[in-house]
Formats: sequence, C-alpha cells, structure tokens
Amino acid sequence: MMGPLRRALDRFRGAGDAAITLPPMDGTIRPNQAIEMAEVVLEIDRPDNLAFDGRRVFFSSGAAVLVLDPAQAVAEAETVATFESEVTCLAADCDGNLAVGLDDGTILFGARSREVQRISDPGGRPSCPTALLLNESALIVCHGSKERSPLAWKHDLMERNASGSVWRIDLVTGTPTRLSDGLAFPYGVVLDPGGNLAVAESWRHRIIAVPRTSDGAPLPLLDHLPGYPARLSPAAGGGYWLCIFAPRSRLVEFVLRERDFCADMFREVEPDYWIAPSLSSGRSFLEPLQGGGIKQLGILKPWAPSRSYGLLIRLDANFHPIASFHSRADGTRHGVTSCVDLGGRVLAACKGGNAIVALDPGLGSGAART
Amino acid sequence: MNPLLEMRGVTKEYRGVPVVKNVDFTLLQGEVHAILGENGAGKSTLTKIMAGVVQPTAGTLRLDGHATVFATPAIALEHGVAMVFQETTLVPSMTVAQNLFLGEERFLNRLRSIYISAQQFLQSLNFPVDPTATVASLGAAKKQMVEIARAVRHKARIIIFDEPTAALTPEEKHYFFALVERLKSRGVSIVFISHALEEALDIADRITVLRDGEHIVTDATAGFDRDKIIRAMVGRSLSGELYRRREQEQVRSAGRRVLSVQDLTMGNMVRNNSFSVYEGQITGMFGLVGSGRSETARIIAGIIKRDFFYGGEVQFEGRTVRYKVPAPAVKDGIVYVTEDRKAEGFFETMPIADNLYAGLLAKNLNAGGALVNMTEMRALADSWTQTLNIRATDKNARAVELSGGNQQKLVIGKALLQKPRLVIFDEPTRGVDVGAIGEIHQFINRIADEGLAVIMISSYLPEIMNLSDRILVFRQGRVVEEFTPGETTEEKIMYAAVH
Repeated sequence: MMGPLRRALDRFRGAGDAAITLPPMDGTIRPNQAIEMAEVVLEIDRPDNLAFDGRRVFFSSGAAVLVLDPAQAVAEAETVATFESEVTCLAADCDGNLAVGLDDGTILFGARSREVQRISDPGGRPSCPTALLLNESALIVCHGSKERSPLAWKHDLMERNASGSVWRIDLVTGTPTRLSDGLAFPYGVVLDPGGNLAVAESWRHRIIAVPRTSDGAPLPLLDHLPGYPARLSPAAGGGYWLCIFAPRSRLVEFVLRERDFCADMFREVEPDYWIAPSLSSGRSFLEPLQGGGIKQLGILKPWAPSRSYGLLIRLDANFHPIASFHSRADGTRHGVTSCVDLGGRVLAACKGGNAIVALDPGLGSGAART
Repeated sequence: MNPLLEMRGVTKEYRGVPVVKNVDFTLLQGEVHAILGENGAGKSTLTKIMAGVVQPTAGTLRLDGHATVFATPAIALEHGVAMVFQETTLVPSMTVAQNLFLGEERFLNRLRSIYISAQQFLQSLNFPVDPTATVASLGAAKKQMVEIARAVRHKARIIIFDEPTAALTPEEKHYFFALVERLKSRGVSIVFISHALEEALDIADRITVLRDGEHIVTDATAGFDRDKIIRAMVGRSLSGELYRRREQEQVRSAGRRVLSVQDLTMGNMVRNNSFSVYEGQITGMFGLVGSGRSETARIIAGIIKRDFFYGGEVQFEGRTVRYKVPAPAVKDGIVYVTEDRKAEGFFETMPIADNLYAGLLAKNLNAGGALVNMTEMRALADSWTQTLNIRATDKNARAVELSGGNQQKLVIGKALLQKPRLVIFDEPTRGVDVGAIGEIHQFINRIADEGLAVIMISSYLPEIMNLSDRILVFRQGRVVEEFTPGETTEEKIMYAAVH
C-alpha cells in the first residue's frame, strides 16, 4: 500500500523515480574537445562497427563492409562485401573469422576454412542484432529489441521497450542459448579476462554483467551514465572502452514520461525531428531544441543542451571510468558508436559525424593519471 | 616618540603554567600594531592584560608614562583602553542602540532619543546597522560593527581587536580597514590580532610576533614579508609547505564515484546544482560567500533540507538518499566538519574525551543503549589525541580551554571516529594558526590517501590549490566550472567564481 502511495507522492513532488535528474558530466567525464580535435583518419558516410582482426580494421558504412590498414600513412578503405540490408554489427577475430549482423535480422558468419554460414534466428521472431562477439567456438549476439529493427532504435527508446536479449550461439552445432532477456536495448558486449560477459544496456544507461547461463539475474557493473551506451571494446593495457552514442537530456527524460505527447509525436512528426536523442543534430531548422537557444552572435555554446554528442569513456578493469574524450554540442564528431584500441592509438567511428578519428589515449579528461 | 602604552617583563601564569613569559611591548600614538603568533602563542592573553580582563603575574604596564594596573575592563575603559573580543560581549536580547548606551542609562529613558543618537553615531562611522534591530537578529559582521562602535563611542584612545575579520565577508573587511584608517587618522592607537598575515602586512605599521608566550620580534611592517613572519611564528619556514602549488602528476586519480548530486535545489541558495565526488580524492569547493557551497554540503549531510518539490536527487554509493536530520547520514558514512566549530563543533564545557566519545555515540545512537563505557572513552581519547596531536594543559582540559587549532583537531577527530566514507570539511583552517594548519592539511591528505572521499570547502585559494585533486567553482548556487590544480591558476578560479 505504501509503495503506490509513495510513487503518487513522488510524482506530485518530482522526487524518487519521478525526479527528472541526470548524472553530471564531471570528474573523469569532464567535457573536453579531444574527439573534435582528433586526427581524421577517414571521412565516410555513417561509419560504424569497427572491428580489429590483429592486422586490419573492418568497419561498415551503410550496407557495405570495408577494411582499412591502420599502418598506412594515408588511410584508404577497401570494400569487402556489400549486402542488401544495412550492416548493424560486426565482429572479427585473429583467426580470420568475421561475423556480420544486418538490419533485416540476418546474421552471417564467415571463416577462412568454410563457406559463409547463415545463423538461424534464435527466438523465432524478427531479430535485431546490435552487437556481436566472437568467442572461440561461440558467437555472442545482442538483440536490441523484439519489436524493432536496429535502425529503428529511436522508436524502441521512445516506446520504452525492454525486450532485448543476449544469446550464445554454438558455431559448431548452431544451437542458440539465451543468456539474458528483458534487457533495454543491449548495444555492446565485451568479455572480461575471467570469461564473463559485460553488456551495455542502452535505455537503462548502464553496463551489466550477464551470467554465463540463463539462470541468474544481471548484475550492474556501472550505472547512472550521462548518455546512452553503445559498443564496448577491450583497451590495450587492461580495461575497456565504452562508446556513448547520444547524451541524455532532461527534456528527453521528461518526454519519455509523457505517453500522450509521445503518441502524438509518433503520429505527426518525422522521426528525425522527434524530441529524442540523435546521432547528429543542428543540420536542419526543423529540428527541435536548436541547441536550446544558447547561441551568441550565431555561435552555439559548447554547453548547450544538445540531442547529439560525441563521448568515449575509458574504463578500468572494474568498469570504473578513468578518462573520457568528448565532442561537445558545438562540435560535429557526434554519435560515437564503436572504437578499437590499436595500442597507443584508438580509432573511433563517429557515425553522426561521418568520420573515423584517431585519438591519443593520453589526451582525455583524467587521462594523464591513467 | 614616547610610547602611549608600554609593557615590561609581563608574565602571566595559569595553574603555574606560563602562557606569557617576560614580554616587552610598546604601542605608539596613532599606530596600528599587529600581534601575530600561532594559537596558544599568548596573543589574546597579552591583550587581555592590556584591557584589564586578566592581571599579570609579573611585570609592569605604563600608560602615558605612568605605571598603571587595570583591575577591571571598566577601569581600563575609563583610561581609554577598549577591547573588541572574538566572541562579542553584546546582550543579544537588546537592540543595537540599547547595547551602545549600555551602562549609561538615565533613570527615565526615551527609546526614541537613544535610537536617534545611535543612528547618527552609526552613520558617522558608515556602519549599515539598524539601531532598532535586536542584536540576536544580526549576523556576525554586524555584531562586530556594533562592538567597534561601542568602543569608539567611549572615546577609547587604544582599541584592541582580537581576530576582528574572521567572521567578515570581503566587502565587510574592506569597510573595516577603512574604519581602522579613520580611527588612526584621529590619533587612536590600534592593537590588532589576526591569523591572516596579508591583513597584518596591509594595514599594520608595526608587527610583533610571539611564539610559545615569548616575544620573538617587533619591527616595522616594511621589514617583514610573509615568509619572515611565518619563520618567526613557528621557528621554521612553512610557507612553501603549506601553500605550494600542486603539479598534475601529484593529483590523485579518481576512484569509485561515491556521491552524485543531481539538480539539487534549495530556494535561491542552491539552484540545479550537479556534481560528483570520488573516493581517494580531495574535491575542493571554492566560491564567494553566498555561492551556495556550505548550503549544498549541509543538504548532503542532512543538516538542512532541500526543496520539497523538485529538490533534485542525491545518490550516495549508488543509492538515492534524502536525509531529514544528520543522524542517518552519519550512519550511512557522511560526516560534515562544521565551519563554525564554537557553535556547532563541540560541547565547550566538556573535556576532550567526552567530546570525542560524543562522536561515537552519534554513530551508534541506538546500538549501545544509554550506557557510557568509560574505558572505551578513555582509550579513544588517548588514541585520537595522539593521532591528531591535540595539545592541552592536561588530559581533562575542557574544549573551551584549547587553542583554536586544537579545537579544530578535536572537531575533526569527533567526525572521523564515526568511520565515515565521505568527509566534508567546511573551512577547516579558519581561525587556526599556521602550525596547526600544516597538521590539519597533512591529516586531510592522509585520509584521502587511505581512500576516503573528501570534500573541502575553503575561501582561501592557496589552500584550495594546494590540497585539492579537483576544484569545483561555485557561483550563484551551482557549480560553474571544474579545474585540476595543475592546469589552472588562482586568477582563472577567481574569474570563474565572479563572472
């Protein structure tokens, strides 16, 4: 009885779960311009899904999978394959294996020694592959949602769905095992040195430890993130990299609670112009917010509330943030969805900024102390 | 020039312990004479002898060349010697005007005429104090102004100020220094005790330094600099140790996020304030008076409440908390070391051991019942007195008998006894002598090295620059800028605090 009463009171006074508050970007997540100032390796349309096989870096752009040699002074991308549907996730390993997830739900696995294998849909429903991880003879697959495809992530967020799942698929037998269910858009996965899985759960702004078997609840490793987490990748020298593809804002948090407003917005407004997070912003006068009006002499201030942002966080082995790299509201390298650590150099794909940039790991906020 | 006041070989002992030893002192007509020294150096006792508050055990005092003994402060005042104390001696329930005319009342008083006279007099001193206001309703600075006005009204030729600026804001200090200049131009001699060395260097004509009750040096201010004063006060140079600039590599790396304050709001004082605090780091908070630093800290510790509607959120170790009183905050591991130690920090008539044990009782309020374990209390007192190097005349000394620095250590000890995970220090070295400042700084550094999360609020920029691993600058109730000590300067911090 007390629970509903308290929730009603909280809604009335804006406290508890009804408090529309956001974690601050300070300390190790203090804003800087490291991504904005970083060297541009390649300018290409919507780069995503960086994957390193020990020699080459694979990535996707639209429906194509491309490859580039990071050792070359002038990076040139070479197209490896083109698909009918947009590529939504990639995984590569040192044995030359490559897994590709597509927006239509297809997952393909290619190895040197055999033909391309089509992985069957694990749940019998339209699948939504958002992240892949090759682990010896298994493929770990994150399905973001049961209701939506990966490219319709904005719909999934604004509908407040939590129907994502994590699967382990045996590449020899093809048997899928569900490791976790009811997740709010799992969008990144990484393996810790102990063989445990950590998953970025985007709509709940956290990283969770997923149990190796289907029984057992996920355990939060890092929560209260100031944005929506995307891919996780291992860092050279221990720890991890976490990409944040869009920032949280109080306005979006408020709109998420207003179901009638959302229903009207879905019906009447183009998704690109919704009051929702975005991979890029400031490109059309039809967009909402317009930087919150924080402009002086026509210059957008870096602290303006923005629907898009560029953020990459360096985590230690315990998933605590120790450094961060930013492209702020006045920047263009937004929507960082994936990265790879090449040891002394980190490549980050700014999907909203149409570029792959190379970062010096020593230049982020707090990075001098790592 | 013949001295207006001359003291020769003055000694004062309490229970056989000398606190002032064979001190010579001279005060010239129309000069500002600063007396400096660590807490416990004997400054206050020496000036109390001048003002007739205490009698010297040995030595002579001459006023205008005549040997004099002031048996009471009233007699000293008759001779033109007035003292303005650290703690005001005003009657809180009476109005400002009544306090000004206290002791001079006629058989039939007309309040209106008193108020008019008081108003005129306060205006002549340029003091913005309402004569009809009760003293209890005034802030510390205005109480100080009334004290000064009372001394000036009695046509004092010598006015002794004991720590006059400790409670004043920068603007009020400006007024105060202008008043000192005006008094000086009228030929009034000023004796001035302060821990702020810059103030002494700014306004004094001569400086006397005492150490351990002994006279060390007296010279014209031009012959001193900050380092020379500190060397005379503590016997060694501490300036470089206390306020050296930290380099980036000396900054501690952030541990786990312990505290996350999100959009905290309390009226106009704290407005949508957001910041984080990490374990193993000292988070320094700087801002001008009224910028909302202390209020934010006090909301976190449950001393005051945030807004009932849309007051924001405080997450301590990942859990949303909303404390209505400090006890649950203490139990969860948040302690607040107050800036006003005399009013909120300790029970001044209780001994050190009782005060320290009170800290433990606060943590385990309902655990051990009402029984006091005397053995545990004594053991705690011995251990913490040693850990914090609390110096007292004897083990049973009451808190009020300790010097400011030792009182502050007592307050810190009481807080740390509660085994906190987050310690909030609010102006930890205000009114503390330089020797104790060094010890308190060392202690704050040590607890951060041990992994505790520390918030340190300070209005003194060199202290912020020296101790903090992160510096949060407050303005108008919120954090407006964050710096690391290696990348910033005092000018940048002040700019952020003002603009």
